[in-house]
Amino acid sequence: MAQDSALYQAIVNGNDKQARAATEEALAAGVAPMDLIQQAMVPAMDEVGRLFEAQDYFVPELLLAARAMKSALVLIKPLLSASGQKMAVRVVIGTVKGDLHDIGKNIVASMLEGGGFEVIDLGTDVSPQSFVAAVEKRQPQIVCMSALLTVTMPAMKVTIDALKTAGLRSQVKVLIGGAPVTMQYAKEIGADGYCDNAGAAVGLVKNLLAKEAA
Amino acid sequence: MPIGADLVLHEENDPEQARNDGAVLGRVIEKAARRWATPLAIPLMDLRLEKTDLLACAGVPAADAEKYHFTSPLNESKIAALCAGQTAPLCRGSIARDQALSYIASLSDLVPVGMAIGPFSLVSRLMPDPITAAAMAGSGVAPEDSDEVRLLWQCLRLAEAAVQRSVRSQIANGARAMMICEPAACTAFLSPRQLKAGSNLFERLVMEPNLRLRAVLDAAGCDLIFHDCGELIDLMVEAFAHRLHPVILSLGGSRRLWEDARLVPSDVVLYGNLPTKSFYSDGAMPLEEVLRRTAELLANMKACGHPHILGSECDVLFVPESRDAILKKVDAMMACAPAQPISS
Repeated sequence: MAQDSALYQAIVNGNDKQARAATEEALAAGVAPMDLIQQAMVPAMDEVGRLFEAQDYFVPELLLAARAMKSALVLIKPLLSASGQKMAVRVVIGTVKGDLHDIGKNIVASMLEGGGFEVIDLGTDVSPQSFVAAVEKRQPQIVCMSALLTVTMPAMKVTIDALKTAGLRSQVKVLIGGAPVTMQYAKEIGADGYCDNAGAAVGLVKNLLAKEAA
Repeated sequence: MPIGADLVLHEENDPEQARNDGAVLGRVIEKAARRWATPLAIPLMDLRLEKTDLLACAGVPAADAEKYHFTSPLNESKIAALCAGQTAPLCRGSIARDQALSYIASLSDLVPVGMAIGPFSLVSRLMPDPITAAAMAGSGVAPEDSDEVRLLWQCLRLAEAAVQRSVRSQIANGARAMMICEPAACTAFLSPRQLKAGSNLFERLVMEPNLRLRAVLDAAGCDLIFHDCGELIDLMVEAFAHRLHPVILSLGGSRRLWEDARLVPSDVVLYGNLPTKSFYSDGAMPLEEVLRRTAELLANMKACGHPHILGSECDVLFVPESRDAILKKVDAMMACAPAQPISS
């Protein structure tokens, strides 16, 4: 499969209709749903991330690719659920309290989903209590927080503190991102990681999980 | 000068009350201009107002406006009504903005400057996923084939009407220059890949509505100050500089103004562009780095001979825990400023 598959090409080209058709065709031909994810979708989103890093693709191309990927995933997810299979790693993501910007968060969510993770998107203006409740209920390994504004960044620290207070901080790795956010800030507030673009988020999550497992 | 009214606003006992009180807001804007010794009375960069006023016409309460998005195409009669019949009262913030302008206009030594979001940037706030819709349009998807693309063009019509309403109201209240903020007109929203492939999306979504806006300003004798702190490619800078031809072009911290000078007519003053969004952090942006960058910018602008006003990359927002760090760096930056704009 991989790079010569119709699904791979449709995702890289950002064509949602072709992605859906290719998925239907592959499933009808008996390709296992998880194989479609691992052998076509994940490599396709990896390639999209590489093209973005190389400044050949830009945010619009990322979103078109994500849209194509989701149009395939919507067909695959029910089959995974029915067969009792699930993604290995769960991520909770949201834009912090007071901040309504969701473009960066949406792109990271899509890249993570394309990277083979289960993503629970809490949306924007997410209170620390909502992050805590989601961690308690959904038991993710990763929490990602986004903020576009300097004025809303402090909510990241408040959320990390809320996770500590709830006794949940050690259960999750916390990643932060957004235009004004820096590595320095991540260290200051006790986050586990920071990345300055969506493409890097997948690699960072994988690295953190690998370190955890080691 | 920094775009610093928000910093001064937060010196008020109740900043949110002050934001909606024209008399207090006028004094805040005056105080900001005098503090940083500029004749340009730059108001708050509150880019929510036009959306709030537009949605009020559609029956959406002001409290819900910021989170509200159109999610499906509107019928033509609704659009026509929204575009033509914007008769709902302006929101409290817009009324205060206009009253503050009237106050500034009554002062003989300050230039009353209005402020409005640009049409395309307003579109980006009216839709849940404007980038994908724009990318689809840029890849050739027609409105007839996609609800998202149809909604994109509908929102542009609504946004243009709302921005023109705002601008006309501010002109009526004394604005002699208008800062139009188009941060969404950037590579995050409009793919350079598509533009290079021949898409006319930048032209249709950004340039055409802003040229019409420019005509409204021209007709009223109001100068254009164009602000875009987004990531830009040269094609965009050139289009803004040559075709919109503002009196001042304000660009984000990612641009090197002394290199952009070659893209900009000599009668367009470049404004900016210290990375003030990072000023909150002494780790990411220590004072020494602010001073170094200020000196570098001033030296290079002097060397290239292009008219320049030293300033911020965007509005300098108040951050509660970092107020002192931000103010210290803004003041240090401004202490380096020449007494007059550098001019060839």
